[in-house]
Amino acid sequence: MSDKLKQVISKQRKHEEDSLKRSDDIVQLVGFVIGDEEYAVPILAIQEIIKPFPWTRVPQVPKYVVGVFNMRGAVIPLIDLRLKFGLSPKKHNEETRFIVMRHGDDIAGFVIDRLTMAIRISKSKIGPAPETANGDDTAIDGVGKQEDRIITILKVNKLLERDF
Amino acid sequence: MDEFQEILQDFLVESFELIEQLDQDLVELETRPDDLELLNRIFRVAHTVKGASSFLNFDVLTHLTHHMEDVLNRARHGELVISPDIMDVILESIDLMKALLNIIRDTSADGGVDVSACVSRLDRCVGGSGNIQTPVSQEAPKVEEEPEPEIEFVDTDDEIDYENMGADELEAEIERLLNQRQAEDKVKREAKKGSNNTSSSEQEDEFAEEDYEPVIKVPMTVTPVLKPAPTSSNLGDSEDARAAAPAKKAQTVEQTIRVDVKRLDHLMNLIGELVLAKNRLIKINDDVEERYEGEGFLEELNQVVSIVSLVTTDLQIAVMKTRMLPIGKVFNKFPRMIRDLSRELNKKIELELYGEETELDKSIVEEVGDPLVHIIRNSCDHGIEIPKIRAEQGKNETGTIKLKAYNEGNQIVIQIDDDGKGLDADMLKRKSLEKGLITQKESDNMSDKEAFTLIFKPGFSTAATVTNVSGRGVGMDVVKTNIEKLNGIIDIDSEVGVGTSMKLKIPLTLAIIQALLVGVQEEHYAIPLASVLETVRISKDEVYTVEGRSVMRLREDILPLVHIGDIFEVERILDSSEYAYVVVLGLGTSKLGLIVDTLVGQEEIVIKSLGEFLKGIEGIAGATIRGDGGVTLIVDVIAIMDMAKRVKVTALKDTTSDAAMSTREKTKASDYTVMIVDDSKTDRTIMRKALEPLGITLVEAGDGQEALSILKQGDYNFDAMLVDIEMPRMDGYSLAIEIKKYNRYKNLPLIAVTSRTGKSDRMRGVESGMVEYITKPYSADYLSSVVQRNVNFKSELLR
Repeated sequence: MSDKLKQVISKQRKHEEDSLKRSDDIVQLVGFVIGDEEYAVPILAIQEIIKPFPWTRVPQVPKYVVGVFNMRGAVIPLIDLRLKFGLSPKKHNEETRFIVMRHGDDIAGFVIDRLTMAIRISKSKIGPAPETANGDDTAIDGVGKQEDRIITILKVNKLLERDF
Repeated sequence: MDEFQEILQDFLVESFELIEQLDQDLVELETRPDDLELLNRIFRVAHTVKGASSFLNFDVLTHLTHHMEDVLNRARHGELVISPDIMDVILESIDLMKALLNIIRDTSADGGVDVSACVSRLDRCVGGSGNIQTPVSQEAPKVEEEPEPEIEFVDTDDEIDYENMGADELEAEIERLLNQRQAEDKVKREAKKGSNNTSSSEQEDEFAEEDYEPVIKVPMTVTPVLKPAPTSSNLGDSEDARAAAPAKKAQTVEQTIRVDVKRLDHLMNLIGELVLAKNRLIKINDDVEERYEGEGFLEELNQVVSIVSLVTTDLQIAVMKTRMLPIGKVFNKFPRMIRDLSRELNKKIELELYGEETELDKSIVEEVGDPLVHIIRNSCDHGIEIPKIRAEQGKNETGTIKLKAYNEGNQIVIQIDDDGKGLDADMLKRKSLEKGLITQKESDNMSDKEAFTLIFKPGFSTAATVTNVSGRGVGMDVVKTNIEKLNGIIDIDSEVGVGTSMKLKIPLTLAIIQALLVGVQEEHYAIPLASVLETVRISKDEVYTVEGRSVMRLREDILPLVHIGDIFEVERILDSSEYAYVVVLGLGTSKLGLIVDTLVGQEEIVIKSLGEFLKGIEGIAGATIRGDGGVTLIVDVIAIMDMAKRVKVTALKDTTSDAAMSTREKTKASDYTVMIVDDSKTDRTIMRKALEPLGITLVEAGDGQEALSILKQGDYNFDAMLVDIEMPRMDGYSLAIEIKKYNRYKNLPLIAVTSRTGKSDRMRGVESGMVEYITKPYSADYLSSVVQRNVNFKSELLR
């Protein structure tokens, strides 16, 4: 590719980004429920959302790592967010979903109780994580305020981090 | 810059290839110093490297190779006899050359290595001017004188190419080249003269190489025969070599393309996917065959499936072959090593190589080098005796080490034999005892063969003194770890006074392996077949406990046992049967019996990593995807051997956990739960109607499979089951047998409800564990009473 072409492309990209930013600083999230609380992750971090299917247990890992499953030829770890968040286990039902999230090369599937909806929220409505859950260790990125509810936005890179 | 990098890459690849061959040639040369063919070959390597490096401006390398070339040239002329001393110098210079090439590879520049000492020694070999001690800078003038004969030689080599030219053409070409060159030279000389006069000695050093280049050309102008020579300086050399090589080799050597290993890896990954898909296709084909027996399209489907599977297998082999390298690549460095070692240790050792053409996967070839170095060193140092002792024992003064490689089934065997003093089992035991590596008891029970394996223990060394070569007690330990990493096995045989033979058995490839699939409870695991020695079926009373560990007797040996369920924390849901299977694992020299519930079979599997998140789980080497799309974990045999030592209780005990069932007190009618299994909706409704008045909880299932999965989910605590016999997918008998496998449901009353009235049907029902047998049609009251009886229904709860 010639340098000129690169320049043109990068200029275009910049332009697009700029226009995106200017157009209201909107964040797109996907909301889901675990236990009684609603959480969300950025839509771009989600590779796919699938219905539960069989997985294989893996020994010598914490309880919340339920196993691995096959997603079109790739072996992907499966993490139960209920257990990870300290809730009691629950049988999978019709609404249970696996959300496959990716951050860089890290990828994993997460078991959630129920999907809610895709959320468009402006950045101004996202507050910082509560004081008690602050610091580098928290998986909470921020708290989004909608008209009638509060959504906890999670850090995908933290979720995908191995902590055992 | 990119172009330069590309050339540099080519140069490095070419140079390393040349050098690899060089080492062997040189050692051979020592035994046949007058082999002109060999000398020419070696000379050409030095020459090619020199030419290319000067073109790329690697002055230090050029300088060094130039002097090497000098010495070799003399030898080629017969002016110099290659004595061991001269050989040492040559070899040293080649080591320097390698070092320089490595530096170039890493930094794209040469330097950091002092070649002057070696260069002066090279010069001394040539017997040239006595001022050897002169620093490099002053050598420059000498360089200018020496090259003359050398160039003549290159030319005679290359002349052949020109012989095809017509006389006139030749003349014209000569004329043109000469004129061109002379003109250039003149300009350069002019320029240099000016700078030379004023330059300090360092500067001169820098210029030395450039300097000699034009000067070389001068003689050529005098002797017209040398016409190609003009091109044989900087640029020319590489071109020459390139032009000459294909011309000569084309007919004899196979054509090759250099391919980036990454591409091959990618290809291998894709093939892996294909193999998985193939396995799946075969499985589906089997299912379809079962379901649509006798249908016309089946044959066609069969054909397609078998073609796909055949081609996939061939494709896999073909791609694997592209990754194969001859093991000679590793073997090549050993003649040189043996030579150096024998001089260092004052022993006479000869190395014989066999089967260098045997091919191995590239990744394995890279891994196998180090272990071999250690083993051969060990043989030289500890194995082969010094000539005097050998003579006293009536052996040939020259010891022989044989290095063989050959294929054996799916494995490659590398065998290292020496005719040295052999391993003394008693001595090994004594030493290990002294060092506290084994206990007295272990030592007493140890066979000779087991004793030999002591040399692989970390910290073990039999050498009385630590030499430069070995005896630090590190090497052999490394051998074991590395070979085990490749799923390999080491086998030692030895006889005192006669020699030692070591066999390394290594699987051909790493990515796709044959595996034995085993079942434990409801889980499956894959064990690399390369580590499986055999499988045996045992009954529970064949398992003995010694010092808290399970063992069994396997022919003459005592085999330590461990249950795979204990290692992988498998929940014991199913009742273990009277018999179990023991998979005898062999790794290196140790053995372990792994108890499993079932043997599923042998399958070709593709190793997949578990990814960043789950990497490093002890005992798990990776995962594979099976024909049914499920994931099966691959057992890491090395780790298992280790973990087995920590698992104390490996019992086949029944862990009866049915206590949970009967604990709950029934306080109301709906606490009783009964499952109705029947494929007919009408029949289910009839039963429901009969039982509903009791107020108990009823769960329905359409067939055996469904019933079983409801049981497995464990959402309900069933007190009884009503089972129809005639059902699709899984009939009542099979269902009963399956249910009885679970500890938890062992005592669950199963009531057959069927229209089959034959005596044999009843018998089968009893055999499969049914407690009652109700024949259709039946009255609602009768059914109700049978159920009440079986669930111990409390009459006061009756409405």
